[in-house]
Amino acid sequence: MKTILLIAADGIRGLIHQRLLLGLMLASLAMTIVFSVFLNSVRQNVTESFSEDRIASDSFKGSEKMSEADRRKLREQMGNMSSVFQAGFYAVASFGGKIVALFIFSTAVASEIRRGTIRLTLSKPVSRTQFLLGKYLGGVAVMGSYALIAGAAIVVFAQSQSLDLNPAIKWSPWLMFCEQLMLGSVALLLSLFMHPIVASVLAFFAGNGFYASPNPLYFILPSYSDFGVFMEVLQGTLVDWKEVALLSLYAFDFVAIMLLLALWRFRTKELL
Amino acid sequence: MSAIRTENLSKTYKTAWGKKETSAVRMLNLEVKQGEVFGLLGPNGAGKTSTIHLLLNLIRPTTGVAFLFDRPVTDTEVHRRLGYLPESVNLHSYYRGRALLNFYAALCGVPVEQREHRVAEVLKLLDLEDAAEKQVAKYSKGMAQRIGVAQAMLHDPDLLILDEPTASLDPIARHRFRELLLELKGRGKTILISSHILSEVESVCDRVAILENGALKRIGTLQELSAGGSTRLIVKEIPAAVMEALAATPAEVTWVQGQVTIRCQDDPILQTVEALLREHHVEILRKESEAQSLDEIFFSTIKQDPST
Repeated sequence: MKTILLIAADGIRGLIHQRLLLGLMLASLAMTIVFSVFLNSVRQNVTESFSEDRIASDSFKGSEKMSEADRRKLREQMGNMSSVFQAGFYAVASFGGKIVALFIFSTAVASEIRRGTIRLTLSKPVSRTQFLLGKYLGGVAVMGSYALIAGAAIVVFAQSQSLDLNPAIKWSPWLMFCEQLMLGSVALLLSLFMHPIVASVLAFFAGNGFYASPNPLYFILPSYSDFGVFMEVLQGTLVDWKEVALLSLYAFDFVAIMLLLALWRFRTKELL
Repeated sequence: MSAIRTENLSKTYKTAWGKKETSAVRMLNLEVKQGEVFGLLGPNGAGKTSTIHLLLNLIRPTTGVAFLFDRPVTDTEVHRRLGYLPESVNLHSYYRGRALLNFYAALCGVPVEQREHRVAEVLKLLDLEDAAEKQVAKYSKGMAQRIGVAQAMLHDPDLLILDEPTASLDPIARHRFRELLLELKGRGKTILISSHILSEVESVCDRVAILENGALKRIGTLQELSAGGSTRLIVKEIPAAVMEALAATPAEVTWVQGQVTIRCQDDPILQTVEALLREHHVEILRKESEAQSLDEIFFSTIKQDPST
């Protein structure tokens, strides 16, 4: 375990020093913030324009023609703007996280082989299993930090803008994290067979979003789409904790299978 | 117990579609005893680095097996007794020198309380103290090579596998490195050196193996390898009849300071000439074996003229 942790710590150190990755993470978080600020300013404008006082005041043209049903609908729409803001935040953070995860996991082992640094590491008393698990664990730690930062950011933003947190958004950092680990495990496995870029693209599109239950591919390919809570956030519906537990179980199961396959491949891989 | 042993070790590389095959190592049987300094020689593409990669379990053999300290190379625990310096030292560039060595020391299982002392020791030994806090990415080739040597020696291994260890070193560092190897040899360490620099191998190695096209051509001590070389017979004078008979053989006859020297290139020629001299009652004053240098042994083995 000590060796795995050492490799993981080295992996984190390496990732922190990767300018491209740092750029991707910063860009992703910056995009999330910019998008959220923009949506929130739109929400504030709308709220201001359609506030109860203004609707009731004479200056609000046409208000007298507005029926009570229309007013209720308008109030609902204004409330929905909050959900749109949160869903937008979630969508950008989730997409950015996927790109970061693909980058981290597809290059974790491949870049060590390409640079030749793996030869020195494996000349030490480090087994290939320890190396691969250490590299994966390093990636997990970085993605965990990303999910935490994204989660903290939404809470801070929501509080600063006096918004109620959507019930579905509360689970989103965890589900996002699970999805990214699944995506990463597929990218890691594929990167042991092919170029990391090709592996990333294939891993991204390997999700069974295209297939429904009767199709056998549904049971083989990863179900990333089940982890997305965009619609739930948008509609303000509750995500059941039982569902989250099942999804988490599925994700860990899936990751374990992918890692076993990756280990099987890596144990016989020629490290030239 | 042998430090390194290979049995019928072969490695064949295939192209992506498996159409073309290249044999990097062919049926290699090698044994390096503990405490021996062993040189692995051969031209480019001879299979030296592939052999080392097989010993480190970085690539899989097509046939045969390899052992380190009588344990299969797939057993990573045996790496606790191994230090390796690759041909091109690729280091994690995001570390500073000292931190990198600390990382490798931790991987080698050097206890925490000894780590700092051991790292400082190897930094001093390889004259890297000033560069200890420098980013590895900013190291010169020579410095990277030295830190590569340092990481191989960190845990004081019993076996050192060095692939072209002095390739990027300047003459001073090369000289120091040779002294270091001799010191390690004196401490009973086993060292396997793959090198192009024959003089370096000649000065430190107990035994050498010459590889060509993946196959072992010759193996032995320098004395053993130079045996079977040319022999000089020194005689006072040669009758005309013997002279004529000698002209019909490949032996070379020269007159130096009133003595006749007959140079016989190999054993069969020597036997022919000796029989001829005995027949004509010519007294042999001296018989000298011409010791071959490693250069000569190497080039005669791979049948290549060094001037070409």
